[in-house]
Amino acid sequence: METATAAHTDHHADVHGHEEHHHEETFLTKYIFSQDHKMISKQFLITGIFWGIVGGLLSVLFRLQLGWPNETFPFLESFLGKWAEGGKISQEFYYALVTMHGTILVFFVLTGGLSGTFANLLIPYQVGSRDMASPFINMLSYWFFLGAGVVMFFSFFIQTGPASGGWTAYPPINGLRDTAVNLGSGLGFDLWILGMTLFIVSALLGGLNYIATVLNMRTKGMNMFRLPLTIWALMFTAVIGVLSFPALLAGCVLLEFDRLLDTSFYLNNIIINGNLLGYKGGSPILFQHLFWFLGHPEVYIIILPAMGLVSEVLSTHSRKPVFGYKAMVFSILAILVLSFIVWAHHMFVTGLNPNLGAIFTLFTLLIAIPSAIKVFNWIGTVWRGKVRLSTANLFAIGFVSMFISGGLTGIILGNSAIDIQLHDTMFVVAHFHIVMGVSAFFGMFAGVYNWFPRLYGRYMNETLGLIHFYVTLIGAYAIFFPMHFMTGLPRRYYTYANFETFNNFNFLAEFISIAAIIVFLGQVLFVINFFYSIFKGRRVEVEKTVDGYDYGNPWGTTTLEWSSPIERLHGNWPGDIPAVHRWPYDYSVNGREYIPQTEALKPGEVPHE
Amino acid sequence: MNVTLTEKEILQEKTEYTGVHPQKFALWIAMASMTMFFAALTSALLVKKGDYRSWEGFTLPTVFLFSTFAVIGVSVCIHAALLSYRKSKFAQFRWLMFFSFLLGCLFLMLQLKGWSVLQAVGMTLTENLSGSFLYVITAAHGVHIAVGLLVMLVFIVNAFKNRKDPIYELRDIINPKRQLHLELLVSFWHYIDAVWVYLYIFFFLNYR
Ligand code: HEM
Ligand SMILES: [Cu+2]
Repeated sequence: METATAAHTDHHADVHGHEEHHHEETFLTKYIFSQDHKMISKQFLITGIFWGIVGGLLSVLFRLQLGWPNETFPFLESFLGKWAEGGKISQEFYYALVTMHGTILVFFVLTGGLSGTFANLLIPYQVGSRDMASPFINMLSYWFFLGAGVVMFFSFFIQTGPASGGWTAYPPINGLRDTAVNLGSGLGFDLWILGMTLFIVSALLGGLNYIATVLNMRTKGMNMFRLPLTIWALMFTAVIGVLSFPALLAGCVLLEFDRLLDTSFYLNNIIINGNLLGYKGGSPILFQHLFWFLGHPEVYIIILPAMGLVSEVLSTHSRKPVFGYKAMVFSILAILVLSFIVWAHHMFVTGLNPNLGAIFTLFTLLIAIPSAIKVFNWIGTVWRGKVRLSTANLFAIGFVSMFISGGLTGIILGNSAIDIQLHDTMFVVAHFHIVMGVSAFFGMFAGVYNWFPRLYGRYMNETLGLIHFYVTLIGAYAIFFPMHFMTGLPRRYYTYANFETFNNFNFLAEFISIAAIIVFLGQVLFVINFFYSIFKGRRVEVEKTVDGYDYGNPWGTTTLEWSSPIERLHGNWPGDIPAVHRWPYDYSVNGREYIPQTEALKPGEVPHE
Repeated sequence: MNVTLTEKEILQEKTEYTGVHPQKFALWIAMASMTMFFAALTSALLVKKGDYRSWEGFTLPTVFLFSTFAVIGVSVCIHAALLSYRKSKFAQFRWLMFFSFLLGCLFLMLQLKGWSVLQAVGMTLTENLSGSFLYVITAAHGVHIAVGLLVMLVFIVNAFKNRKDPIYELRDIINPKRQLHLELLVSFWHYIDAVWVYLYIFFFLNYR
């Protein structure tokens, strides 16, 4: 025993023999200019939470207008000033709210916040690597993300207000800088483009790092089919990102040329106040193609990480192997490929050739197949498992429910003939909020509750978590389910007062607004829980102490992240990186509750593969 | 205990799954991304060209053919520089880098010349769509070239500044990181040169 310890210490000293070269970290290098994937993950997460609050708040504001179009809310004037004179949100500001809500939630929370947090946290930990392929580029990725956010945030405080031409940034309205046409198309939209450009750079820098790390920096024994599904999902997400974001960038470059230098890529024969402007030959539809070539893959950039997290959480908390592991991997791959060839289903009413529409309908409906396989496998994973009703797992189960509900309406919308009726109505809003917005949030929450101990060495509070879950689940259905029945109600309208037919939706609109406020308050609970738990949460139990490092495994997971000490070391493992001997889902096998990936096969044991 | 591993130490533990250094691999992915960017721009051009009502063609100025030669020159030169670096012929390396830089600058000047030829025949940025596309795509490509030139300049300045310092050159020989960075730069240049060759052929076929 004596000698064994001595040998261990020796080895330890060996690894850190060159300690003199290591510069001690200062506050600045540790928290601000950190190149450590775990710190960058926290930076992304907390920035994402900030944006989540802002984006959510914006929706509460416009729901006030939609729910009670005839009321005034004097308190609004005191903090919005001219945007809510007399306590009524102005038309211009309403459109800014809707636009920025979409932009912030889609890009800053569910893309940057979600991928940024979990790719950074999980990729190095779960593939068994000390950090990303390029920690420096990784840091840049965060800093571009932050810069993008600063620009977007700043745009709220300029005279003409932030962009207000929709999160999809369509020309012609966004192609003219004339604020007489639309306030938000002035400087606000230039800032939008600048912010999005920085954001795209951030996504690309992050993405290429994630892919290079997964493919090159796995530990010994970690072949591709021993990767947890989180990693597969995050890697394919990054692939989609690096291949589709450039199209948006190209679209935005051309748009900014139209705006600043009077080219006519998207503009043609525009008449303002009886004056014919000099633009000729352009086509706004061209922008839609470039936008949706990113835009559709983007929705999978949002949902795939959530799917990966959910697969992992469901398996861990049901104490059962993931059902159909390889089917899951190939489904993600199929989704990746298909996601690039369905973009025109957002453009069925643009005068698209109906025959082309039929082809896009076909590809669109094909996506239902891998999606359904995944749903089936999640249910198969939970089925007859020893299911723990922890907050993380409830959110994962909630994800599956939401994804099914929203996916079904996708199949309806995917038919070009039906979509002509439904396009730009609340039915679409219901579809994509349930299938993308709420589902991705559920996946993200499942991930945060599950990996919070890895990030901070403490648990989040379960009671608050459960309240948060039920409020969000019931509330989200209360908000979005009724929208399916607001037949024909166009989206993005400031008021429907001039349309008598729509009067019968007044009650529903009010009901939805109340639910939205409650759900928003529910999220405040999460934020409180999050920050409280960082400092005061229950500590992760120490299971063993080796060489002065405490080890734990709060959920009894098999994956590599808990083979590293509870304390978060730069470089992740104090000694050598552990080798991997088995796939990541050995739950409830050989009479054991779980077998870590680092454990060698017993003589005669047949590996899963 | 706060141990900070340097980037180098972290990378030393890379495993050899793809046999490629992770950062080089990352550069390849970046190239795929840039390819999508130029593909998006050129397909936008094709879509608009298909819309015959708004497309007014014109012939591509021949200057762009000469810039194509310039850019091929950069590739040849910088590759030769890499080879002499590998053979530790540092004097040769420095001059070849320097020539690559000059050729790169020449390329940008020829592109500007191309623009002024267009201006001279009345094909301004806003005159019509076919012209606008040519300006925007060449500008987007030019930005990439300019970035490549900046990084190249850093290499050149370092190489010339330390040319009398034997220790520096010794480190050139034994420091794998420095060679890696050079290889990354060279790959980038080959890539962005190839993009121009593609663009030139594309323009040549579409502007006549
Ligand atoms: C079975 C799978 C799905 C099908 C067939 C489908 C189909 C469609 C169609 C046809 C539209 C266009 C509706 C219109 O504007 O008229 C649409 C909109 C949308 N879908 Fe899906 N969808 C599916 C799954 C998803 C998923 C998984 C997500 C996200 C994770 C998603 C996110 C969106 C978004 C964000 C929009 C609307 C964007 C906007 O106009 O602002 N969809 N979907
Ligand atoms: Cu879509």
